[in-house]
Amino acid sequence: MVDITDTLDCSGDVCPYPDVKSKRKVKKMKSGDVLQILIDYPLSAERIPETMESLGHEVLSVEKTGNSAWTILVKIK
Amino acid sequence: MDFLYAMIGGLIVGALFGFVLQSGRFCMNSAFRDIILLKEFKLAKAVVIAIVVEMVGFGIFAAAGVITLSVKTFNVGGSIVGGLVFGIGMVLAAGCASGTTYRVGEGMMGSLVAAIGLTSGALATAYGLFKPAKDAIQSVTVGTKLTVFGEYDAVLTPVLMIIVGIILAVVIFFFWGLPGFKNKRASDEPLIKTDDVVTQVFKKGYPYWVAGITVGIVGIVGYLVNAGGTGALGGGGTLGITGGWMDLSLYLTTNDAVAWAGFIILGLILGSFISALIAGEFKLRIPKDGKTLLIQLIGGLIMGFGAVTAAGCNITNVLGGVPQLSIHSIVVGACIMLGCWIMTYLLFMRKED
Repeated sequence: MVDITDTLDCSGDVCPYPDVKSKRKVKKMKSGDVLQILIDYPLSAERIPETMESLGHEVLSVEKTGNSAWTILVKIK
Repeated sequence: MDFLYAMIGGLIVGALFGFVLQSGRFCMNSAFRDIILLKEFKLAKAVVIAIVVEMVGFGIFAAAGVITLSVKTFNVGGSIVGGLVFGIGMVLAAGCASGTTYRVGEGMMGSLVAAIGLTSGALATAYGLFKPAKDAIQSVTVGTKLTVFGEYDAVLTPVLMIIVGIILAVVIFFFWGLPGFKNKRASDEPLIKTDDVVTQVFKKGYPYWVAGITVGIVGIVGYLVNAGGTGALGGGGTLGITGGWMDLSLYLTTNDAVAWAGFIILGLILGSFISALIAGEFKLRIPKDGKTLLIQLIGGLIMGFGAVTAAGCNITNVLGGVPQLSIHSIVVGACIMLGCWIMTYLLFMRKED
Protein backbone atom coordinates (compact mmCIF):
# COMPACT_ATOMS: atom_id res chain seq x y z
CA MET A 1 0.00 0.00 0.00
CA VAL A 2 1.13 3.51 -0.70
CA ASP A 3 0.79 6.32 1.80
CA ILE A 4 -1.68 8.84 0.53
CA THR A 5 -0.53 12.37 1.29
CA ASP A 6 -3.68 14.18 0.27
CA THR A 7 -7.08 13.60 -1.30
CA LEU A 8 -8.82 15.76 -3.89
CA ASP A 9 -12.53 15.07 -4.12
CA CYS A 10 -13.85 16.11 -7.53
CA SER A 11 -17.11 14.20 -7.40
CA GLY A 12 -19.96 16.22 -8.81
CA ASP A 13 -17.61 18.69 -10.46
CA VAL A 14 -18.37 19.71 -14.01
CA CYS A 15 -16.03 19.87 -16.94
CA PRO A 16 -13.21 21.08 -16.72
CA TYR A 17 -12.94 21.66 -12.96
CA PRO A 18 -11.54 18.18 -12.15
CA ASP A 19 -8.72 18.74 -14.63
CA VAL A 20 -7.99 22.29 -13.51
CA LYS A 21 -8.20 21.49 -9.78
CA SER A 22 -5.90 18.48 -10.02
CA LYS A 23 -3.39 20.44 -12.08
CA ARG A 24 -3.33 23.23 -9.52
CA LYS A 25 -3.19 20.79 -6.61
CA VAL A 26 -0.13 18.88 -7.80
CA LYS A 27 1.73 22.15 -8.29
CA LYS A 28 1.52 22.78 -4.56
CA MET A 29 2.65 19.30 -3.53
CA LYS A 30 6.14 18.05 -2.76
CA SER A 31 8.16 15.50 -4.66
CA GLY A 32 7.30 11.96 -3.58
CA ASP A 33 3.86 12.94 -2.27
CA VAL A 34 0.93 10.80 -3.36
CA LEU A 35 -2.33 12.47 -4.37
CA GLN A 36 -5.61 10.58 -4.43
CA ILE A 37 -8.17 12.03 -6.85
CA LEU A 38 -11.82 10.98 -6.58
CA ILE A 39 -13.78 11.61 -9.73
CA ASP A 40 -17.15 10.79 -11.29
CA TYR A 41 -16.80 12.34 -14.73
CA PRO A 42 -15.74 9.88 -17.49
CA LEU A 43 -13.84 12.30 -19.74
CA SER A 44 -11.69 13.60 -16.88
CA ALA A 45 -11.08 10.08 -15.59
CA GLU A 46 -9.42 9.35 -18.92
CA ARG A 47 -7.73 12.68 -19.33
CA ILE A 48 -6.31 13.41 -15.86
CA PRO A 49 -3.92 10.43 -15.95
CA GLU A 50 -2.72 11.58 -19.39
CA THR A 51 -2.26 15.15 -18.18
CA MET A 52 -0.40 13.98 -15.07
CA GLU A 53 1.94 11.84 -17.11
CA SER A 54 2.62 14.67 -19.54
CA LEU A 55 3.52 16.84 -16.52
CA GLY A 56 6.03 14.16 -15.55
CA HIS A 57 4.20 12.72 -12.53
CA GLU A 58 3.77 8.99 -12.04
CA VAL A 59 0.24 7.58 -12.27
CA LEU A 60 0.22 4.70 -9.77
CA SER A 61 -3.29 3.47 -10.46
CA VAL A 62 -6.66 4.28 -12.03
CA GLU A 63 -9.34 2.22 -10.38
CA LYS A 64 -13.02 2.15 -11.29
CA THR A 65 -14.72 1.99 -7.92
CA GLY A 66 -18.37 1.98 -8.96
CA ASN A 67 -20.89 3.44 -11.38
CA SER A 68 -19.16 6.43 -12.90
CA ALA A 69 -16.67 6.60 -10.03
CA TRP A 70 -12.91 6.42 -10.29
CA THR A 71 -9.98 6.75 -7.90
CA ILE A 72 -6.70 7.94 -9.37
CA LEU A 73 -3.40 7.77 -7.47
CA VAL A 74 -0.63 10.08 -8.63
CA LYS A 75 2.92 10.22 -7.29
CA ILE A 76 4.47 13.66 -7.63
CA LYS A 77 7.78 13.75 -9.46
CA MET B 1 -43.01 13.05 -44.17
CA ASP B 2 -45.22 10.97 -42.02
CA PHE B 3 -45.27 11.65 -38.33
CA LEU B 4 -44.38 7.99 -37.84
CA TYR B 5 -41.40 8.21 -40.19
CA ALA B 6 -40.11 11.30 -38.36
CA MET B 7 -40.62 9.61 -35.02
CA ILE B 8 -38.97 6.28 -35.76
CA GLY B 9 -36.23 7.75 -37.96
CA GLY B 10 -35.52 10.56 -35.50
CA LEU B 11 -35.41 8.26 -32.50
CA ILE B 12 -33.06 5.77 -34.19
CA VAL B 13 -30.70 8.39 -35.63
CA GLY B 14 -30.80 10.30 -32.33
CA ALA B 15 -30.01 7.15 -30.36
CA LEU B 16 -27.04 6.34 -32.62
CA PHE B 17 -25.86 9.93 -32.27
CA GLY B 18 -26.17 9.83 -28.47
CA PHE B 19 -24.37 6.51 -28.32
CA VAL B 20 -21.33 7.69 -30.28
CA LEU B 21 -21.26 11.12 -28.59
CA GLN B 22 -21.16 9.48 -25.16
CA SER B 23 -18.67 6.79 -26.12
CA GLY B 24 -16.47 9.32 -27.92
CA ARG B 25 -16.83 12.02 -25.20
CA PHE B 26 -17.59 14.23 -28.18
CA CYS B 27 -18.02 17.75 -26.85
CA MET B 28 -16.86 20.82 -28.72
CA ASN B 29 -16.59 22.85 -25.54
CA SER B 30 -13.96 20.39 -24.27
CA ALA B 31 -12.40 20.17 -27.73
CA PHE B 32 -11.92 23.91 -28.21
CA ARG B 33 -11.20 24.72 -24.57
CA ASP B 34 -8.52 22.09 -24.09
CA ILE B 35 -6.49 23.41 -27.02
CA ILE B 36 -5.47 26.32 -24.80
CA LEU B 37 -6.23 25.01 -21.31
CA LEU B 38 -4.54 21.61 -21.36
CA LYS B 39 -2.69 21.82 -24.69
CA GLU B 40 -4.62 18.66 -25.50
CA PHE B 41 -5.75 18.14 -29.09
CA LYS B 42 -7.46 14.75 -29.20
CA LEU B 43 -11.06 15.97 -29.14
CA ALA B 44 -10.24 18.81 -31.51
CA LYS B 45 -8.82 16.22 -33.90
CA ALA B 46 -12.02 14.18 -33.51
CA VAL B 47 -14.05 17.27 -34.53
CA VAL B 48 -11.84 17.81 -37.61
CA ILE B 49 -12.12 14.14 -38.62
CA ALA B 50 -15.92 14.20 -38.26
CA ILE B 51 -16.05 17.31 -40.49
CA VAL B 52 -13.90 15.66 -43.17
CA VAL B 53 -15.91 12.40 -43.13
CA GLU B 54 -19.11 14.40 -43.57
CA MET B 55 -17.59 16.60 -46.26
CA VAL B 56 -16.86 13.58 -48.44
CA GLY B 57 -20.13 11.82 -47.51
CA PHE B 58 -22.42 14.82 -48.05
CA GLY B 59 -20.52 15.56 -51.27
CA ILE B 60 -21.00 12.06 -52.68
CA PHE B 61 -24.71 11.85 -51.87
CA ALA B 62 -25.32 15.39 -53.12
CA ALA B 63 -23.44 14.70 -56.37
CA ALA B 64 -25.51 11.53 -56.80
CA GLY B 65 -28.69 13.59 -56.34
CA VAL B 66 -29.78 11.72 -53.20
CA ILE B 67 -29.69 14.79 -50.98
CA THR B 68 -29.89 18.53 -51.55
CA LEU B 69 -27.27 20.56 -49.70
CA SER B 70 -28.35 23.16 -47.16
CA VAL B 71 -25.71 25.90 -47.32
CA LYS B 72 -26.69 28.85 -45.15
CA THR B 73 -26.87 32.47 -46.21
CA PHE B 74 -23.83 34.33 -44.90
CA ASN B 75 -25.15 36.52 -42.11
CA VAL B 76 -22.31 38.78 -41.05
CA GLY B 77 -23.54 40.01 -37.67
CA GLY B 78 -25.34 36.79 -36.81
CA SER B 79 -22.36 34.58 -37.44
CA ILE B 80 -19.84 36.77 -35.59
CA VAL B 81 -21.94 37.87 -32.61
CA GLY B 82 -23.89 34.63 -32.35
CA GLY B 83 -20.73 32.53 -32.55
CA LEU B 84 -18.86 34.58 -29.92
CA VAL B 85 -21.84 34.59 -27.56
CA PHE B 86 -22.37 30.85 -28.03
CA GLY B 87 -18.69 30.17 -27.31
CA ILE B 88 -18.80 32.23 -24.12
CA GLY B 89 -22.04 30.54 -23.02
CA MET B 90 -20.84 27.00 -23.56
CA VAL B 91 -17.88 27.44 -21.20
CA LEU B 92 -20.26 28.62 -18.47
CA ALA B 93 -22.75 25.84 -19.27
CA ALA B 94 -19.87 23.30 -19.11
CA GLY B 95 -20.79 21.82 -22.46
CA CYS B 96 -21.78 22.74 -26.00
CA ALA B 97 -25.28 21.97 -27.26
CA SER B 98 -24.47 18.34 -28.05
CA GLY B 99 -22.22 17.85 -25.00
CA THR B 100 -24.90 19.21 -22.71
CA THR B 101 -27.55 16.95 -24.25
CA TYR B 102 -25.57 13.70 -24.12
CA ARG B 103 -24.56 14.41 -20.50
CA VAL B 104 -28.24 14.54 -19.57
CA GLY B 105 -28.28 10.88 -20.62
CA GLU B 106 -25.26 10.21 -18.36
CA GLY B 107 -27.29 11.52 -15.44
CA MET B 108 -25.57 14.89 -15.01
CA MET B 109 -28.31 17.08 -13.62
CA GLY B 110 -26.22 20.22 -14.04
CA SER B 111 -26.37 19.60 -17.78
CA LEU B 112 -30.15 19.20 -17.58
CA VAL B 113 -30.30 22.65 -16.00
CA ALA B 114 -28.02 23.97 -18.77
CA ALA B 115 -30.31 22.37 -21.39
CA ILE B 116 -33.35 24.08 -19.85
CA GLY B 117 -31.42 27.35 -20.02
CA LEU B 118 -30.48 26.66 -23.65
CA THR B 119 -34.12 25.98 -24.58
CA SER B 120 -35.44 29.09 -22.79
CA GLY B 121 -32.73 31.33 -24.23
CA ALA B 122 -33.34 29.98 -27.73
CA LEU B 123 -37.13 30.43 -27.53
CA ALA B 124 -36.78 33.96 -26.13
CA THR B 125 -34.45 34.83 -29.01
CA ALA B 126 -36.54 33.22 -31.75
CA TYR B 127 -39.96 34.45 -30.62
CA GLY B 128 -39.78 36.58 -27.49
CA LEU B 129 -37.89 39.12 -25.45
CA PHE B 130 -34.57 38.92 -27.31
CA LYS B 131 -36.04 38.73 -30.81
CA PRO B 132 -35.56 42.47 -31.59
CA ALA B 133 -31.89 42.23 -30.60
CA LYS B 134 -31.40 39.15 -32.77
CA ASP B 135 -33.19 40.77 -35.73
CA ALA B 136 -30.98 43.86 -35.46
CA ILE B 137 -27.79 41.77 -35.32
CA GLN B 138 -28.92 39.65 -38.27
CA SER B 139 -29.77 42.56 -40.57
CA VAL B 140 -26.70 42.32 -42.85
CA THR B 141 -26.31 39.38 -45.22
CA VAL B 142 -23.79 38.75 -47.99
CA GLY B 143 -24.68 36.64 -51.01
CA THR B 144 -27.38 34.02 -50.84
CA LYS B 145 -25.57 30.78 -50.12
CA LEU B 146 -21.92 31.71 -49.99
CA THR B 147 -19.31 28.93 -49.90
CA VAL B 148 -15.51 29.03 -49.82
CA PHE B 149 -15.58 28.79 -53.62
CA GLY B 150 -18.19 31.48 -54.22
CA GLU B 151 -21.93 31.08 -54.50
CA TYR B 152 -23.38 27.61 -53.93
CA ASP B 153 -23.78 25.63 -57.13
CA ALA B 154 -25.84 22.43 -57.13
CA VAL B 155 -23.37 20.68 -59.45
CA LEU B 156 -20.02 22.23 -58.57
CA THR B 157 -20.22 22.49 -54.76
CA PRO B 158 -20.59 18.73 -54.09
CA VAL B 159 -17.65 17.98 -56.40
CA LEU B 160 -15.48 20.57 -54.64
CA MET B 161 -16.53 19.12 -51.27
CA ILE B 162 -15.39 15.65 -52.34
CA ILE B 163 -12.06 17.00 -53.64
CA VAL B 164 -11.33 19.16 -50.58
CA GLY B 165 -12.49 16.37 -48.28
CA ILE B 166 -10.22 13.78 -49.85
CA ILE B 167 -7.23 16.15 -49.79
CA LEU B 168 -7.86 16.88 -46.10
CA ALA B 169 -8.29 13.16 -45.37
CA VAL B 170 -4.91 12.39 -46.95
CA VAL B 171 -3.21 15.24 -45.06
CA ILE B 172 -4.78 14.12 -41.77
CA PHE B 173 -3.75 10.51 -42.34
CA PHE B 174 -0.22 11.59 -43.13
CA PHE B 175 0.22 13.78 -40.04
CA TRP B 176 -1.96 12.04 -37.43
CA GLY B 177 -2.42 8.50 -38.69
CA LEU B 178 1.04 7.48 -39.87
CA PRO B 179 2.99 8.34 -36.68
CA GLY B 180 0.51 6.21 -34.73
CA PHE B 181 0.91 3.27 -37.12
CA LYS B 182 4.68 3.49 -36.90
CA ASN B 183 4.60 3.51 -33.10
CA LYS B 184 2.36 0.48 -33.02
CA ARG B 185 4.48 -1.41 -35.51
CA ALA B 186 7.60 -0.60 -33.51
CA SER B 187 6.01 -1.89 -30.31
CA ASP B 188 4.50 -4.95 -32.03
CA GLU B 189 0.99 -3.96 -31.03
CA PRO B 190 -1.79 -5.03 -33.40
CA LEU B 191 -3.08 -2.14 -35.51
CA ILE B 192 -6.65 -2.82 -34.51
CA LYS B 193 -7.41 -4.81 -31.41
CA THR B 194 -9.94 -7.42 -32.43
CA ASP B 195 -9.65 -9.64 -29.38
CA ASP B 196 -12.62 -8.16 -27.57
CA VAL B 197 -14.85 -6.18 -29.88
CA VAL B 198 -17.74 -6.02 -27.42
CA THR B 199 -15.58 -4.35 -24.77
CA GLN B 200 -14.16 -1.90 -27.29
CA VAL B 201 -17.55 -0.88 -28.67
CA PHE B 202 -19.64 -0.80 -25.55
CA LYS B 203 -17.49 -0.55 -22.44
CA LYS B 204 -14.71 1.88 -23.22
CA GLY B 205 -14.29 5.46 -24.34
CA TYR B 206 -13.43 5.58 -28.04
CA PRO B 207 -10.03 6.75 -29.31
CA TYR B 208 -10.36 10.19 -30.88
CA TRP B 209 -10.23 8.99 -34.50
CA VAL B 210 -12.98 6.39 -33.90
CA ALA B 211 -15.07 9.12 -32.24
CA GLY B 212 -14.55 11.42 -35.22
CA ILE B 213 -15.36 8.80 -37.85
CA THR B 214 -18.47 7.44 -36.07
CA VAL B 215 -19.87 10.92 -35.38
CA GLY B 216 -19.27 11.79 -39.04
CA ILE B 217 -21.03 8.65 -40.26
CA VAL B 218 -24.04 9.26 -38.00
CA GLY B 219 -24.19 12.81 -39.39
CA ILE B 220 -24.38 11.43 -42.93
CA VAL B 221 -26.96 8.78 -41.98
CA GLY B 222 -29.02 11.52 -40.29
CA TYR B 223 -29.00 13.64 -43.45
CA LEU B 224 -30.04 10.65 -45.59
CA VAL B 225 -32.87 9.58 -43.27
CA ASN B 226 -34.12 13.15 -42.94
CA ALA B 227 -34.04 13.54 -46.74
CA GLY B 228 -36.59 10.72 -46.93
CA GLY B 229 -39.34 13.03 -45.76
CA THR B 230 -40.89 16.30 -46.81
CA GLY B 231 -42.27 19.46 -45.23
CA ALA B 232 -41.84 20.54 -41.64
CA LEU B 233 -41.23 17.01 -40.45
CA GLY B 234 -38.18 16.44 -42.61
CA GLY B 235 -37.10 17.29 -46.10
CA GLY B 236 -33.36 17.05 -45.69
CA GLY B 237 -30.88 18.87 -43.56
CA THR B 238 -28.11 18.38 -41.10
CA LEU B 239 -28.51 17.27 -37.51
CA GLY B 240 -29.14 20.00 -34.98
CA ILE B 241 -29.61 20.25 -31.26
CA THR B 242 -31.05 23.62 -30.29
CA GLY B 243 -33.98 23.40 -32.71
CA GLY B 244 -34.86 20.01 -31.25
CA TRP B 245 -35.01 21.31 -27.69
CA MET B 246 -37.20 24.21 -28.87
CA ASP B 247 -39.42 21.72 -30.70
CA LEU B 248 -39.93 19.65 -27.55
CA SER B 249 -40.61 22.74 -25.48
CA LEU B 250 -43.19 24.04 -27.96
CA TYR B 251 -44.87 20.63 -27.89
CA LEU B 252 -45.12 20.80 -24.11
CA THR B 253 -46.35 24.36 -23.92
CA THR B 254 -48.39 24.86 -27.09
CA ASN B 255 -49.22 21.35 -28.28
CA ASP B 256 -47.28 21.95 -31.47
CA ALA B 257 -46.52 18.45 -32.79
CA VAL B 258 -43.08 17.01 -32.12
CA ALA B 259 -41.10 16.91 -35.35
CA TRP B 260 -37.93 15.18 -36.51
CA ALA B 261 -35.61 17.52 -34.56
CA GLY B 262 -37.42 16.86 -31.29
CA PHE B 263 -37.23 13.11 -31.73
CA ILE B 264 -33.50 13.45 -32.38
CA ILE B 265 -33.14 14.94 -28.89
CA LEU B 266 -35.23 12.22 -27.24
CA GLY B 267 -33.29 9.54 -29.10
CA LEU B 268 -29.97 11.20 -28.30
CA ILE B 269 -30.63 11.21 -24.56
CA LEU B 270 -31.81 7.60 -24.74
CA GLY B 271 -28.75 6.50 -26.75
CA SER B 272 -26.37 8.25 -24.39
CA PHE B 273 -28.19 6.75 -21.40
CA ILE B 274 -27.86 3.23 -22.84
CA SER B 275 -24.19 3.79 -23.71
CA ALA B 276 -23.41 5.14 -20.23
CA LEU B 277 -25.40 2.39 -18.53
CA ILE B 278 -23.54 -0.40 -20.36
CA ALA B 279 -20.17 1.23 -19.67
CA GLY B 280 -21.03 1.67 -15.97
CA GLU B 281 -20.90 5.43 -16.34
CA PHE B 282 -24.48 6.34 -15.52
CA LYS B 283 -25.15 8.08 -12.23
CA LEU B 284 -27.60 10.80 -11.26
CA ARG B 285 -25.38 13.55 -9.91
CA ILE B 286 -25.34 17.26 -9.19
CA PRO B 287 -22.58 19.83 -8.81
CA LYS B 288 -21.57 20.29 -5.16
CA ASP B 289 -22.61 23.90 -4.88
CA GLY B 290 -25.65 25.83 -6.02
CA LYS B 291 -23.49 28.49 -7.63
CA THR B 292 -22.24 26.04 -10.27
CA LEU B 293 -25.82 25.09 -11.11
CA LEU B 294 -26.81 28.76 -11.46
CA ILE B 295 -23.80 29.44 -13.71
CA GLN B 296 -24.76 26.46 -15.88
CA LEU B 297 -28.30 27.81 -16.22
CA ILE B 298 -27.02 31.26 -17.23
CA GLY B 299 -24.50 29.66 -19.59
CA GLY B 300 -27.35 27.73 -21.20
CA LEU B 301 -29.42 30.89 -21.66
CA ILE B 302 -26.46 32.69 -23.28
CA MET B 303 -25.83 29.66 -25.51
CA GLY B 304 -29.49 29.67 -26.59
CA PHE B 305 -29.27 33.32 -27.64
CA GLY B 306 -26.04 32.61 -29.53
CA ALA B 307 -27.41 29.53 -31.28
CA VAL B 308 -30.51 31.25 -32.65
CA THR B 309 -28.59 34.42 -33.59
CA ALA B 310 -25.96 32.34 -35.44
CA ALA B 311 -28.72 30.32 -37.17
CA GLY B 312 -27.60 27.14 -35.49
CA CYS B 313 -25.62 25.70 -32.61
CA ASN B 314 -22.21 24.07 -32.90
CA ILE B 315 -23.67 20.87 -34.37
CA THR B 316 -25.70 22.62 -37.09
CA ASN B 317 -22.86 24.93 -38.04
CA VAL B 318 -19.59 23.14 -37.30
CA LEU B 319 -20.74 19.58 -38.07
CA GLY B 320 -23.42 20.47 -40.61
CA GLY B 321 -22.35 23.67 -42.35
CA VAL B 322 -18.54 23.54 -42.36
CA PRO B 323 -18.51 20.25 -44.34
CA GLN B 324 -20.63 22.05 -46.96
CA LEU B 325 -17.90 24.73 -47.14
CA SER B 326 -20.40 27.35 -45.97
CA ILE B 327 -18.74 30.68 -45.17
CA HIS B 328 -21.44 31.43 -42.62
CA SER B 329 -20.77 28.20 -40.71
CA ILE B 330 -16.99 28.59 -40.91
CA VAL B 331 -17.23 32.09 -39.41
CA VAL B 332 -19.62 30.81 -36.71
CA GLY B 333 -17.23 27.95 -35.90
CA ALA B 334 -14.22 30.27 -35.65
CA CYS B 335 -16.14 32.70 -33.44
CA ILE B 336 -17.41 29.89 -31.19
CA MET B 337 -13.80 28.83 -30.70
CA LEU B 338 -12.70 32.42 -30.01
CA GLY B 339 -15.55 33.00 -27.54
CA CYS B 340 -14.68 29.75 -25.83
CA TRP B 341 -11.02 30.75 -25.52
CA ILE B 342 -11.84 34.21 -24.13
CA MET B 343 -14.09 32.75 -21.43
CA THR B 344 -11.71 29.88 -20.65
CA TYR B 345 -8.90 32.39 -20.16
CA LEU B 346 -11.00 34.57 -17.86
CA LEU B 347 -12.34 31.66 -15.81
CA PHE B 348 -9.54 29.15 -15.57
CA MET B 349 -6.22 30.59 -16.69
CA ARG B 350 -5.96 34.19 -15.50
CA LYS B 351 -5.86 33.31 -11.81
CA GLU B 352 -3.35 30.50 -12.21
CA ASP B 353 0.02 30.94 -10.42
